[in-house]
Amino acid sequence: MPSLRFENVRRRFGRLAVLTGVSGAVGPGEMLLVTGPNGSGKSTLLRCLAGLLAPDAGTIEYREEREEPLDAAGRRRLAGVVTPDLAFYAELTVRENLEFFSRLRRTTPEHGLAVLARLELPLDRMAGALSSGMRQRLRWAWALLHAPRLLLLDEPFQNFDAPGERAAREILAEHLAAGGLAVVANPSPLEFGHVAGHLDLGR
Amino acid sequence: MWQDTSTWAAEALAVFAKEWRCEFRTRYALNTLGLFAFTTLVVVSVSLGPLGVSVSQGTAVLPVLLWVILLFSAAAGLPRAFVQEEETQTATALRLAATPSALFCGKLLYCMTLTLALEALVTPVFVAMTSLDVKSPGLLAAVLAAGGYGLAAGSTLVAAIIAQARSKGTLFSVLAFPVLLPLLLIAVELTRHAVAGDPADVALLQLLLYDGSVTVAGFMLFPVVWNP
Repeated sequence: MPSLRFENVRRRFGRLAVLTGVSGAVGPGEMLLVTGPNGSGKSTLLRCLAGLLAPDAGTIEYREEREEPLDAAGRRRLAGVVTPDLAFYAELTVRENLEFFSRLRRTTPEHGLAVLARLELPLDRMAGALSSGMRQRLRWAWALLHAPRLLLLDEPFQNFDAPGERAAREILAEHLAAGGLAVVANPSPLEFGHVAGHLDLGR
Repeated sequence: MWQDTSTWAAEALAVFAKEWRCEFRTRYALNTLGLFAFTTLVVVSVSLGPLGVSVSQGTAVLPVLLWVILLFSAAAGLPRAFVQEEETQTATALRLAATPSALFCGKLLYCMTLTLALEALVTPVFVAMTSLDVKSPGLLAAVLAAGGYGLAAGSTLVAAIIAQARSKGTLFSVLAFPVLLPLLLIAVELTRHAVAGDPADVALLQLLLYDGSVTVAGFMLFPVVWNP
């Protein structure tokens, strides 16, 4: 059974202590909501959980089928990540971007293409010509390309129009219903039925 | 085991194909390298053409100039290999999706083919414009192949190291100097041998050893400098 548990995670940038001992856990079918104002460390926490940033102290344990927790490299490969700073190749079309990354993920692009069909993004448009809302749709498709068990979503509904947000919420709900895990960072609390835990970094 | 190797190779080839596809659509490196190579070729050829350099001086001087042209032309485009990924923020997606060693291999293949293409364009024009009489064209081809690979491997490694730094241009020059200096010294000496028709001696072996060392160092260092 997949599970994610992190304890006493600390991270500084020079003299600035961004994370000062953050702990939390999430199990199958659960979503942990991380809230807090800008600069409170939400994105830093998600980057640590994704294996993109090494914490100064604390433990992060993510398990899938095996007993041993995965290291940062394993989390990078297995987690599905949506962050505002995730960009794609402007010179390639949406389809070409997904095909390229599916080869790196050692999978086929079908899952990502199916997500894009639900989010109604034209596949043959150049990624450099996408609006901010369309880029967010591509980030979702990219994150779900390899059908991850763990989703790490940083401000996942930003820039969406109403139909886009509705579709993304449905996808997230289906992911959780299928036993997936999610950690969602947002500046304010989300109205979402599957929230199992709430971590407020603003306190 | 075999399946792991084939999927790793497929990853590396996907990176290589993506690099060339993006390059053909933007022509950033091709234009930069081509323009720099053309300009320096014209300046060198007009200044030190057959009328300006004697045969003995030409054997000593022209191989140096050939490698200076190749070095600076390559330096105009190769450091972009990883810097562009950071500047356009595609590095995050690559860090999350790619196996570091396969990514390095794909980038190295791209830099190598770009350098070899540059050499294939520059060298015949340089030889023709300076009326350089090459006694051992086979040795020259071997030196260009091994030297071009070394240039690409050294530049790719340094490009990976500087990608996340602030002063990328300065840092590339500082770090590339000790990495590429041995390569250039050996390549120039071997090119002189090729022009004069002398045997390669141990210098070709030294060049191949340099290539092997930089490649191994690149594959060992890259995962460390690329990931947190």
